[in-house]
Amino acid sequence: MDIKNNKFYQMWFKNAWTYVTGAILLSLFQIVTLATTNDPWGVSGPFANWGAWLYQAVGGSVDKWYYFSSKGAQATLSGGFMNDPGSIRNLGIIVGALFATLMASQFKFKKIKSLKQVIAAILGGLLMGYGARIGFGCNIGALYSGIASLSVSGWVFALFLFLGATVGSKLLVKYFM
Amino acid sequence: MAKEVTLDCMGEACPVPLIKTENALKKLTVGDMLIVQIDHSCAMKNVPEWARKEGHNVEIEEVDDGEWEIFIEKTK
Amino acid sequence: MSEPTVSVRSSSRARTDTKKKAKKNQLPIGIAVLAAMVAFGIYLSTVTPKLALFWILGCCFGFILQKSRFCFTASMRDPSLTGSTSVTRAVLIAFAFTSIAFAAIKYGAMVKGLPIPGQSYIVPISLATAVGAFLFGIGMVIAGGCASGTLMRVGEGFGMQILSLFFFVVGSLWGAHDFGWWKLNFMLKAPKIFMPDIFGWAGAIIIQLLVIAALYIAADKWENRKLDTDQNH
Repeated sequence: MDIKNNKFYQMWFKNAWTYVTGAILLSLFQIVTLATTNDPWGVSGPFANWGAWLYQAVGGSVDKWYYFSSKGAQATLSGGFMNDPGSIRNLGIIVGALFATLMASQFKFKKIKSLKQVIAAILGGLLMGYGARIGFGCNIGALYSGIASLSVSGWVFALFLFLGATVGSKLLVKYFM
Repeated sequence: MAKEVTLDCMGEACPVPLIKTENALKKLTVGDMLIVQIDHSCAMKNVPEWARKEGHNVEIEEVDDGEWEIFIEKTK
Repeated sequence: MSEPTVSVRSSSRARTDTKKKAKKNQLPIGIAVLAAMVAFGIYLSTVTPKLALFWILGCCFGFILQKSRFCFTASMRDPSLTGSTSVTRAVLIAFAFTSIAFAAIKYGAMVKGLPIPGQSYIVPISLATAVGAFLFGIGMVIAGGCASGTLMRVGEGFGMQILSLFFFVVGSLWGAHDFGWWKLNFMLKAPKIFMPDIFGWAGAIIIQLLVIAALYIAADKWENRKLDTDQNH
């Protein structure tokens, strides 16, 4: 029997799930995350550590920066990527998505198509990085986990995120396509 | 005679394929066929979803690993 | 998924078939990746169990995000750009479910006299929140993915998102560099508001769910309204 025609293979690996299925499963794993790690899910925090490690690799030093001044932040930085749970979880997201794509036989490396995409990626990346640091997180840490933690900050983040996304859409249509 | 138009959205990220599809479909007349070529797995979900909601006939074909063609027949 | 069958297929079938390349079967590579995932997890568990736990959670999140094409960026972008709110409504469902469970976990800890978990995510609301969220909103739409979405798309093989991830990291470093200034001028004086402190636990969860329900109904109405005006043309 061909695995490709197996209905369980198709359900779990081949076909895309509905958004609502995703919502419920993400909720389940958010709950697992809070219950087992004592913190909700966050993604963009470790990126600042990655930046610090890269900066140190090219000879920079973040020792005097307020952001990394706490004992915990210093310990994380000196422990390195392989001892930072948040970094490992982010690596897991990449590999989990890779696994899902391969199991559906849908992996393809998609090259950058145009200069517009290069500029969009650079500009978008920088804006997200800076915004996430001063906004206490990204769509996961500040928005999803913030709101689910019954913090009003999550809703404020949501409002301005929506305004930003609306402006971003206008810019995208005008300059990046 | 109904036309068949191909729209190349390979390498385009969301939401570009959807916007291009909307614009391309506007220029067609009823009965024409638009074939959208994509390799973005999210567009493979939101382009057909949008087109079906608009009431067009939609068919998706996986033409290669991670590449799809979305056939949209303009119905109105 | 139910695909409505259309007559379309027969006419175009022949054309696509001729240029169709032989599809490769990527399942064996998928299985190899799975084996590597398990091996790495076992290795991490020998370092500390905590690392292995985070690894497993990350892999699960990545798998779920990819399979459901879950996109927080689309939830904020599509209502104004395309009028579609299906992702927005799914995100609201996730908010509702997770809020109830988080409240339960937090309340349970409080009743037992334990420290409430996850309270570091109750962050001060200041101009920095507004500016940060606004910049983040612009950036995620232009780059075609937020933090989780970018990681997921790196796994799917998008060159563009590999580049934006790199600059996300650079931007994070920049933000961390300026963090002290934002903290001194805005965050220190800003309030942290945990809803149960104001409305009580039951009040907080009721208000939370009412807000989510109101947004859900608004999103649903918005999608149909947009469709109606289109059809009137």
